[in-house]
Amino acid sequence: MATGHRSLADQLRSWSDERLARLLHDRPDLATPAPSDSAQLASRAATRSSVLRTLDLLTRLELSVLDALVVVGPTSREALLGIVHADPAEVGAALDRLVDLALAWEAETGLRPLTGVVEALAGSPGTSGLRPSSAEPAPPETIAAAVEALSEPARALLLHVLDQGGEARTEARTHVSVADARTPAEELLARRLLTPRGGGTVVLPGEVGLVLRGGRTTTTPIDPRPTLLTSERDQALVDRGAAGAAHEALHHVEVLLEEWGVRPPSVLRGGGLAVRDLKGAAQLLQTDPVAAAFWVELAYAAGLLGHGLGPEGDLAWLPTTAVDAWIEESPAHRWRTLVSGWLVSNRVPGQVGRRDGAGKAWNALTSELTAPHQAETRRMVLDELAALPEGTTLAAATGPASLVERLAWLRPRRPRGRTDQIGWALAEGERLGVLGLGGASTPLRLLLDGETDAAVEALAAALPEPVDHVLLQADLTAVAPGPLEPTVARRVQLLADVESRGSATVYRFGASSVRRGLDAGWTPAEIHAFLASVSRTPVPQPLTYLVDDAARTFGTVRVGHAESFLRADDETALTELLHHPRAASLGLRRLAPTVLISTTPVDVLLQRLRELGAAPVVEAPDGTVHIARPEPLRSRTRETTPVAAARGAARETARITAVIAGLRAGDRALPVRPPATAVDPRGRSTPSATLTALREAIESGTSVVIGVIGDDGLPTDRTVEPMSVEGGRLTALDPRTETLRAFAVHRIVSVRPAGDAP
Amino acid sequence: MNDGPLIVQSDKTLLLEVDHEDAAACRKAIAPFAELERSPEHVHTYRLTPLGLWNARAAGHDAEQVVDTLLTYSRYAVPHALLVDVAETMARYGRLRLEKHPVHGLVLASSDRPVLEEVLRAKKVAGMLGERLDPDTVAVHPSERGNLKQALLKLGWPAEDFAGYVDGEAHAIDLDPEGWSLRPYQAEAVDSFWHGGSGVVVLPCGAGKTLVGAAAMAQARATTLILVTNTVSARQWKDELVRRTSLTADEIGEYSGTSKEIRPVTIATYQVLTTRRKGVYPHLELLDARDWGLIVYDEVHLLPAPIFRMTADLQARRRLGLTATLVREDGREGDVFSLIGPKRYDAPWKDIEAQGWIAPADCVEVRVSLPESERLVYATAEPDERYRLAACTHHKVDVVRSLVEQHGDAPTLVIGQYLDQLDELATALDAPVISGDTKVAERQRLFDAFRSGEIRRLVVSKVANFSIDLPSAEVAIQVSGSYGSRQEEAQRLGRLLRPGRDGKVARFYTVVARDTVDADFAAHRQRFLAEQGYAYRIVDAADLG
Repeated sequence: MATGHRSLADQLRSWSDERLARLLHDRPDLATPAPSDSAQLASRAATRSSVLRTLDLLTRLELSVLDALVVVGPTSREALLGIVHADPAEVGAALDRLVDLALAWEAETGLRPLTGVVEALAGSPGTSGLRPSSAEPAPPETIAAAVEALSEPARALLLHVLDQGGEARTEARTHVSVADARTPAEELLARRLLTPRGGGTVVLPGEVGLVLRGGRTTTTPIDPRPTLLTSERDQALVDRGAAGAAHEALHHVEVLLEEWGVRPPSVLRGGGLAVRDLKGAAQLLQTDPVAAAFWVELAYAAGLLGHGLGPEGDLAWLPTTAVDAWIEESPAHRWRTLVSGWLVSNRVPGQVGRRDGAGKAWNALTSELTAPHQAETRRMVLDELAALPEGTTLAAATGPASLVERLAWLRPRRPRGRTDQIGWALAEGERLGVLGLGGASTPLRLLLDGETDAAVEALAAALPEPVDHVLLQADLTAVAPGPLEPTVARRVQLLADVESRGSATVYRFGASSVRRGLDAGWTPAEIHAFLASVSRTPVPQPLTYLVDDAARTFGTVRVGHAESFLRADDETALTELLHHPRAASLGLRRLAPTVLISTTPVDVLLQRLRELGAAPVVEAPDGTVHIARPEPLRSRTRETTPVAAARGAARETARITAVIAGLRAGDRALPVRPPATAVDPRGRSTPSATLTALREAIESGTSVVIGVIGDDGLPTDRTVEPMSVEGGRLTALDPRTETLRAFAVHRIVSVRPAGDAP
Repeated sequence: MNDGPLIVQSDKTLLLEVDHEDAAACRKAIAPFAELERSPEHVHTYRLTPLGLWNARAAGHDAEQVVDTLLTYSRYAVPHALLVDVAETMARYGRLRLEKHPVHGLVLASSDRPVLEEVLRAKKVAGMLGERLDPDTVAVHPSERGNLKQALLKLGWPAEDFAGYVDGEAHAIDLDPEGWSLRPYQAEAVDSFWHGGSGVVVLPCGAGKTLVGAAAMAQARATTLILVTNTVSARQWKDELVRRTSLTADEIGEYSGTSKEIRPVTIATYQVLTTRRKGVYPHLELLDARDWGLIVYDEVHLLPAPIFRMTADLQARRRLGLTATLVREDGREGDVFSLIGPKRYDAPWKDIEAQGWIAPADCVEVRVSLPESERLVYATAEPDERYRLAACTHHKVDVVRSLVEQHGDAPTLVIGQYLDQLDELATALDAPVISGDTKVAERQRLFDAFRSGEIRRLVVSKVANFSIDLPSAEVAIQVSGSYGSRQEEAQRLGRLLRPGRDGKVARFYTVVARDTVDADFAAHRQRFLAEQGYAYRIVDAADLG
């Protein structure tokens, strides 16, 4: 190919900044830490772990194209389009993406896969099962003729080997002529339809497989992506259902955080939430434990729940400091916070209650309660649903299964637990109100398009309008016929207990709740005025009476602080103490003729009284308890909440730009450095430079001279053809002996191209 | 956003805004499946319960209708989980059916085999079922028909009873509509009942439940057993039946502590049936004394536990339950559902009042302060003595006297719990007392005198709580009661709500001692009244003037 490059590094060097940025965005592992130049970038792109990670992102079609590339070896674009059983335009697009992802590159010999790909792709789901072609494949016509000439048992065996992955073991002699062949296997070997690999292993080369499959890697087309089974619903209905769920979601999280702010459940020793506490939460939220686990995990994912010290000094699950700001926001904003946290969370509350491999049931909030690709799968589910036209929803019964199939096509390499993950994503989406009746709600569509503000507005429009009044009734209840404005709600909630929540709220007034208002400093007149102003209906007489009655008895008993008390039947003795010149610091106060109280602790007081000449005795404690209304407890907001991570998209772009700028600078500096060897003062290359040089050599298939430290501690030079670098070992072919040898990478001190002088 | 009158809460309550223009239509639509929990002036609260939903199923409504109604009238989005729950709950009713099999007699059949398997494995039904006839059918011991229904309800799979009824011994009974006719809602109630076979008719006090019973008898035209709360009530039933139907006094028997007559129509008291001697119920054979075609249970919400057990054996006979409220203080609503039958008709109190069939009422709570000396006694008294001490304060007598004087000649009832207090009041007011000790004849005479206007004031104990018509009463003053019983409050108010003179406004006073348990209990009962939609005021005794 005319535009071929000497190496992947060369190709990357020729790319525009945008293209590089796209690569670093799609393969973020390449950018951390920032590579110094394109050679290092190329080297890193070829590592097994990075390749595997990238393969996971491919669709079935892309995998098939890559697989075809592996099967035929370096080839032209046109040839490749011919052997993939799919629409050529689609195959072309898939190929472009593979090149963009640096999984394939344009070498001088034609398009070729990255070396690591061959191994990584072997046996992967979504591939054809064909082996790579031989180095010098026979022309298809010759192979076809050979196949044609096969005996029936040999043909059956050949097809069997093809179906079994192209590899088999046999006792057959490997070097026989067609005439000498005694078994079908020997016949196949003689006709060179199977190739011996040593050790009794035979391989069906790719070119034979291609011929057997009619010139293509698969017999069935691979491009039709499974379609979703859908039904038609009014989008308004979808939005309405979703908004109702969103409202419920907010309500649930609020109630949960409010309760846990006062009565937090403890953190289990292994982290997580006790089953009993989860059941408690379910009861509180009037739902089942499965749903309760979701609400708890949702609050956690949104950074609203963390652990901190509970009231008894033990570790407990507490609302974070972020809650206080969150609760002040508008409902739609609050919802957005929840959804943002949920979208990027890998947590799988759907697993709660199920048993793990060891037979132990999963607890909510356990740190291991995650699935690596949950966020990605969830996002794909939402993207798929949002891609449907408005008013189209997933069919109720058959839809989820079709979604599973479609995702299996889009990500063939992510099969484990996919059905579960998709089911959870759908169920959670319905609960959270991003989905309604199986369809994407308008706010979700906007949110996925990045139009956050528009999404918030759309939801705000669909949520019930806040009301600013209540209806007071003679049975001492107040009904807010809709969500109450927060300022009004807080005041009503101070004066009355909540009896029923939902879209509307029912409050009940009682002597104790009114007293709570009085405790908070309200005067009866203020309460009357507030009730009259907030009620659309006349204030019922019994309620007025109740307030007055509560006020009448309010404060008849007074409570104060005292560290200790003094009791004496002798009034004059107390009077004397009270007026003693040296008793001023004791903080004495007379409550009754025979009782004094003091602000001094008993042990100190006892000492001081003795100094003053009194002879006090200590009374046994009689067990009075002081109960204060507990303040809501808070834990610290986690430093890096998933929400913060979600907001970092812009930051990510900036970082990638910086990485590319660094790359360019590194490449510019290249001519003044020895090629591919950063040398330390002792003339040895640095480990990273060594690896880069080795990977580049593997990629370009060239020989290098490596300096290896021998057992005597002295370096010796060896000329080798590197094959792979994995796990700190270099596997290379020694051209003199034609054998594979392994070298420990840490013993290699220099690498230079074979032609160069040392 | 919809502008409906209904708000559906996730805790399964439904809030209905009464002033909304669609409120009436909505009320009608949700009444079949939602229980009215309270109906104060602006927002009525209904609740969705499994029993309510099954009642609706029994009446032929399906889940789709219910969901549709909720969606139609709801102002806000209806919680998804609630809709799912409604559908699931309703689907549980009728999966199991009790049927009559031509060969094997009573059988339990199922259209859903897993449900049948689940039930067969339950301990509760072990021993009630016979052999498995085919995969979907199991024989049932005929005597266990009621117990089985009870057990299945507890398991959450209520059975629909298609096994039918025996006709019973025929006896000609006709209504005798001379100078009166059935009110529309009464006729509707009888129709609903007859159509459903067995079940409960809920009508407020004073709405003419006796006539519904009489009409049902005329429909059945068979011998009838009527179970009532007490002897006075039994007499009233008898009088009413003689007046309103073709039955003569000779055809109606009274089976009570005093007389034991068994006639084609027999009226028995719960008390006599539940009398136990040496561990056996000697009067139980009454239930089998004749081939009854219809059994009427008056005041179903008071049905004592032994009667439930007996009723379990009467499942082949038509059963009509009459009550003002399905609320039972003991929470045995489920037994009423499975043994008597589902609710067949329900009309809310306020609606019937609005139609003019019962009198409106004005409720006032009068608070008296205990004098210092009594407060001290009260504060140091044993907890179980406190209510009596507070309720019987002498100050109440003065307050009652001034209330009675305020209303001059209006027929007035003074109702109390404690005999000492009643005697004291009777002396102060110069009025006769009716208590448990009063002979039935004497009671009858005094009630008649009160009705005719001969006596203007009457002091009564709790014997007057139930089933006694005193339509002329205009004022009731309650000085003490059975702690905080809600249904007692309903019954006492019910005494006043019998239709009387045109434009009559009933007055219902409760005199309570301030800052005591008396006031706490009163608050409980008052809440019930307020929830029923009765405006009430609280005044201080000192402000009575």
